[in-house]
Amino acid sequence: MEIDLFSTFHSEAEKKGVMFYYSGAFSQSVITTISDILKNRFDGHDFQSFNSRKVFSSFIEMVQNAMHYSPEAPEAGGEKIGAIAVGKSESGAFLLCANLIDKNYVERISKKLEAVNNMTIEEVKAAYKIQLRNENHHEEDDISKGAGLGLLTMARDSKSKIEYRFENVVGYEDRYAEIHLKTQF
Amino acid sequence: MDLYLAATNDSPEVDFKFSKHSLSMKGEAFPEDASKFYYPIVVALDQYLKSTDKQEINFDFNLTYFNSASTKMLFTIFQLLNQSASTHNRVIVNWHFDEEDDTIKEFGQEVAEDFPMLELFLIETSQA
Repeated sequence: MEIDLFSTFHSEAEKKGVMFYYSGAFSQSVITTISDILKNRFDGHDFQSFNSRKVFSSFIEMVQNAMHYSPEAPEAGGEKIGAIAVGKSESGAFLLCANLIDKNYVERISKKLEAVNNMTIEEVKAAYKIQLRNENHHEEDDISKGAGLGLLTMARDSKSKIEYRFENVVGYEDRYAEIHLKTQF
Repeated sequence: MDLYLAATNDSPEVDFKFSKHSLSMKGEAFPEDASKFYYPIVVALDQYLKSTDKQEINFDFNLTYFNSASTKMLFTIFQLLNQSASTHNRVIVNWHFDEEDDTIKEFGQEVAEDFPMLELFLIETSQA
């Protein structure tokens, strides 16, 4: 990157309230390191305007989801890769996450996100309660590797709907897509 | 046999002093593989409960954060304790939560509702 482009990148990020940005491998050690950084950033400032616990919770769910479901990046030596941004907005805070997914899952993930986004917060909490008590989750859904609570947790923690988009991955259009998620606090 | 797991960057301290009927979990829980982390805990607890009768078991629950996969496993732990409380033992749960943490408070209320044989006390702590 040219130094003048870096200046633009830096000042644009600042204007948009970005407090933290990471792009690279997603692993458990990266998660714990970023967790520490986020906690320090949240502690060191006056963040009365939003609930930092919810940002943290959403961050963990997003990145662990990405770790569990992302295919290994084709040109990254078998690593799971992605990007994360955390920032302040006029009304509070936002969290953005990008990661690779299998193209075959675009429809499945869209449906799940749409279903969650069509719920009121009360419906999200009710669905969460039901899913917490569901002992047949793995029989009902053999793709899911977790408890089926991740998206519901993100929806519960976010004060806006979960925004999402899919981007093409240049050179791998048929196999992969990149999913971008945004939640607000 | 007692079970002790020291806290790590992503998992809590687990101090199950079965010999004293005193259980405690403290810290944050977002292990990479929740099943792998909780499996030995659930197995040890299950064995202990099966061989324990007419005791007062105290559980200090002091987690400040747990991810969704941990939530599911914790629910299983309380299920086991509730079964024991309805047949063999008295189970007292001290559920510590920060005054600003509605999520953990609400989860404590749910556990209390779902598992009525537990004597669960919500204990609010304020940030120093």
